[in-house]
Amino acid sequence: MRYGWRWITWAFLLVVLFLTLFPIVITLLGSLKTNAELTAGATLLPLSWQFGNYKEAWSTAGFGTYSFNSLFVAAMATAGTLIVASMAAYVVNRMSFFGKKIYIGIQAFTMFVSIGAVVLRPQFELMIDLKLHNTLWGVILILISAHASAFFILLSFMSGIPRELDEAARIDGCSPASVYARIVLPLLAPGLGVAGLFAFRGAWNEYLLPFVFTLSKPELQTLTVGLANLKYGVSAAAQTHYMMAGACLSIVPILVVYVFANKSFMQMTAGSLKG
Amino acid sequence: MNKAKNVVFSYSFLLPSSILTVVLGIYPIVWAMRYMFFDYKGYGEERFIGLDNFARIWTDHEYWDSVLNTFIYAGGKLALSLPLALLLAVILNRGLRGRGVIRALLFMPTIISTAVMAVVFFAIFNSYNGILNQFLMKYNLIGSPVDWLGVDHAMLSVILVAVWGALGNYMLLFLAGLQNIPQDVYESSSLDGAGRWQQFRYITIPMLGPVMQMIVMLAIINALKGYESIMVMTDGGPIGKTNVMFLYVFKLFFPTASGSAATQVQEMGYGSAVAFVTALIVGAITIVYFYGSRRMSRND
Amino acid sequence: MKKRWLTMTLAAVVMAGSLAACSGKKTEENGGAESGGSDSGEKTVISYWTGDRHDSEFIKEVVDEYNATNKDNIEVDLVIKGDDFDQALDMSFQTSEPPDVIRVKENTIQTFYKKGYLAPIDEFLKEEHKAAFPEMPDLNSFEGKRYSLPNYGTTMRLIYNKELFAKAGVTAPPTTLAELVDVAKKLTAAGKESGAYGFAQNFKNPGSAFGRSSRVIAEVSGFGGFGYDFKTAQYDFSHFKPIIEAFKQIKDDGSMLPGVESLDIDPLRAQFAEGKIGMYLSFSAEAGVYTSQFPAKIEWAAAPAPSIDGSFNGASGFLGGQWLALSSKTTKKEAAWKFMSYMYSESLLQQYQEKGFGISMVPSVSEVAATPQVKGIEGFLPNPYDGVWPVYPVVAVQGTKSDDAFFKYMVSGGDLDAIIKDLNERYNAALAQAVKNGEVKAEPDPNFDPKALAGKFAK
Repeated sequence: MRYGWRWITWAFLLVVLFLTLFPIVITLLGSLKTNAELTAGATLLPLSWQFGNYKEAWSTAGFGTYSFNSLFVAAMATAGTLIVASMAAYVVNRMSFFGKKIYIGIQAFTMFVSIGAVVLRPQFELMIDLKLHNTLWGVILILISAHASAFFILLSFMSGIPRELDEAARIDGCSPASVYARIVLPLLAPGLGVAGLFAFRGAWNEYLLPFVFTLSKPELQTLTVGLANLKYGVSAAAQTHYMMAGACLSIVPILVVYVFANKSFMQMTAGSLKG
Repeated sequence: MNKAKNVVFSYSFLLPSSILTVVLGIYPIVWAMRYMFFDYKGYGEERFIGLDNFARIWTDHEYWDSVLNTFIYAGGKLALSLPLALLLAVILNRGLRGRGVIRALLFMPTIISTAVMAVVFFAIFNSYNGILNQFLMKYNLIGSPVDWLGVDHAMLSVILVAVWGALGNYMLLFLAGLQNIPQDVYESSSLDGAGRWQQFRYITIPMLGPVMQMIVMLAIINALKGYESIMVMTDGGPIGKTNVMFLYVFKLFFPTASGSAATQVQEMGYGSAVAFVTALIVGAITIVYFYGSRRMSRND
Repeated sequence: MKKRWLTMTLAAVVMAGSLAACSGKKTEENGGAESGGSDSGEKTVISYWTGDRHDSEFIKEVVDEYNATNKDNIEVDLVIKGDDFDQALDMSFQTSEPPDVIRVKENTIQTFYKKGYLAPIDEFLKEEHKAAFPEMPDLNSFEGKRYSLPNYGTTMRLIYNKELFAKAGVTAPPTTLAELVDVAKKLTAAGKESGAYGFAQNFKNPGSAFGRSSRVIAEVSGFGGFGYDFKTAQYDFSHFKPIIEAFKQIKDDGSMLPGVESLDIDPLRAQFAEGKIGMYLSFSAEAGVYTSQFPAKIEWAAAPAPSIDGSFNGASGFLGGQWLALSSKTTKKEAAWKFMSYMYSESLLQQYQEKGFGISMVPSVSEVAATPQVKGIEGFLPNPYDGVWPVYPVVAVQGTKSDDAFFKYMVSGGDLDAIIKDLNERYNAALAQAVKNGEVKAEPDPNFDPKALAGKFAK
């Protein structure tokens, strides 16, 4: 019986893995084909392996220069999102005060309507007032301002943390702020890990904001803006082979971040509750 | 004890979030939405026309078709991705060899850019020389090529792609939620002789309650709002079969993005009105869900 | 564990704070340096934005050369966008600093003009310019003022696979719709065992598909390619009936490449290059694609598009008439114009045609320029049927667009007459509304003769 379950589990996992990875393998193989072969389809393995696609993608998209900008934006936006959202989630879950429901409603509302490009103009005008329109800080602030889903993720994880813990600490004389920093935040690690990973990915992949904010400051461009250049080249058709090579390259940093985030929500088991 | 102090503390902790949300979230939305009472084409005159835009929505068949399509799309995506994600999370939460690697691999689809996805899934699904048809025909599972991106199957295809792209997200959220459940609860229940299914039914599900409620809520909102992968794969076609609400709104605001030879007019005014009605629909569904699922958030 | 998270968070907060302070200061310094710089005779930087990709290598070279050689200390910052060009331009005008020089096209210049993005160039035009570059109302001049000058144009043709034609025993490309349907059938019969089909259209975007097919067939037959009738100043889609029926027939016959419902233009081109498509209708840019990007594995050629019944009562759209324009918001008009006049120099325009990026619309250039060095371009060069159509009034129609309605008919059938009647009603209602609001002008021109449009670029 036990063996049977193990077999079924592994068979299930292998099927899911195959279906999940197949398109990614196609992407990887596609990134090594010529444009004509890739666009025409019909082949699985490249007829001739075009490793030069990666060289072209690397230099056209400006990986060397723009990766740092992307990393900077993504890291700052992630840190900001986690701080702002976890503070809000803490008080909304643990304290009682007037306006809580209004606050939750407003956060939810921002999730119902959002077509980034439509609200870009007023956002940009605000950034001009703050003199942040030619900096990546404008991008970072706007990215942090969209923290509703991080807030809801953290809010739900917050309710999984037993109240007895922080109540005990309060009785011991801890201020609410230090309860937040010393007890709640460490226990929130799984939620912070996931929310942080999503925030990082969102910021890393954001195209429109850095595109608009760096229109007159090309040296501040992020990788996504550089990657968009890959699509167009010598002729009227899209350079799909370079796009795919660029996509494969830009996956790597997020996978690295994933490995770090993974530690927070996997190693940090509830064992610490005992202590 | 010091209730006033707590309230002051609460507001101070809420302040950064509130300022950012109101200034960079709500204000820009209100700014854009005020056009819903105007006939405005993105330039020139802004003519106030009262509720005319809303009357136009009422008779706009394309929009209501897109609402219906959204429900099919969201329903399909949720019904497939959420149970599968939960199942994967439960399996990968246990002491399985190589689980770390498997989790990372399952997460990978969520980081592929949508533009690249369009090319890859065209290579897989297209009826002329798509990989899927070649595979199915080789093993005699189908007699003639199936037009996976054609009128009859396009919706199914975009749903499958959406599930592919979302599975990793929900699996991770569920996993993190499972990590929040204290291990000793399982340990003591094992001592009491509870089997795996009983543990799942009487410990995992209830303890996961609040997180699960939130995951489903986010999933519902995302499914109702999703349009980018559809836009690059089928552009809402063929003949509007995969046109969803947000894609319809997007095209009203950005008609030139479609690359048509004919010049298109930007419908700022009407687009805002449609966006507003769409937000009401998403909001109403979310609120209904939220009240319907209140039981889940009580974890006792 | 607890401690590490706390320190990390704190570190992030501190870092964010300190960096914010730094960067704020830096921007100020930069701002100061910039304004000081322009006084001391540093380079005048102007930006040129284009959405063209087929000529990008050449334009990059040309701009580099200009930057290296010009004596006015002008540096041109070239920005090449793609599909998102219009959106990016809107964004730049709404939000940040727009470009100084803008690439305009026949389907964008009217909108950009109405949005106030463009500045007239009359003050800079010398007699030689006026003599060399034809003025075209609505295409490069508005209300008596010039906003751009022509460079090259795009012709529309039937592009066909010569090898498949030979295999099917078809000697000449079709000139009527009936022949088109018939040839597509023959080609499919001849090519089926090798997976080749007679005809294809990129219906992932019906607007793009019909904009390169039904449009030109209507135009050579003497009808406006987007349904607008210049004689009556009304929309009338009834002329499209035989065209759409022919396309439907091709599809129903099984002569259309399978899966055209989701076919984009690039996969279509790739299949044509592989020899899997007998013929399709498109623009002259295709020649370049089959030389550099998707090297054609077959012999192919371009022929004039067929007309409805074989009689040519109109002109095959020669699209163009404009190229570069000055931004209304530029503060460096003089420098921008200097760059523009460099770009419009005769030798550069001549190279433009000879390298095969487009077919010159400037008479003095066409006279001296050699045939482009692109394989297959011969068929795209101006013929007696080519001509420039006037600009039709664009309206915000409510409900289904004509392209979507026609494609729906092709896929699922229905009553085409009723569809056309409904389209006419809705488009004309939108037109009347737009005229009433002063958004567009639409005046009947009973003497409008579509046939007279043709024959100006080749006899």
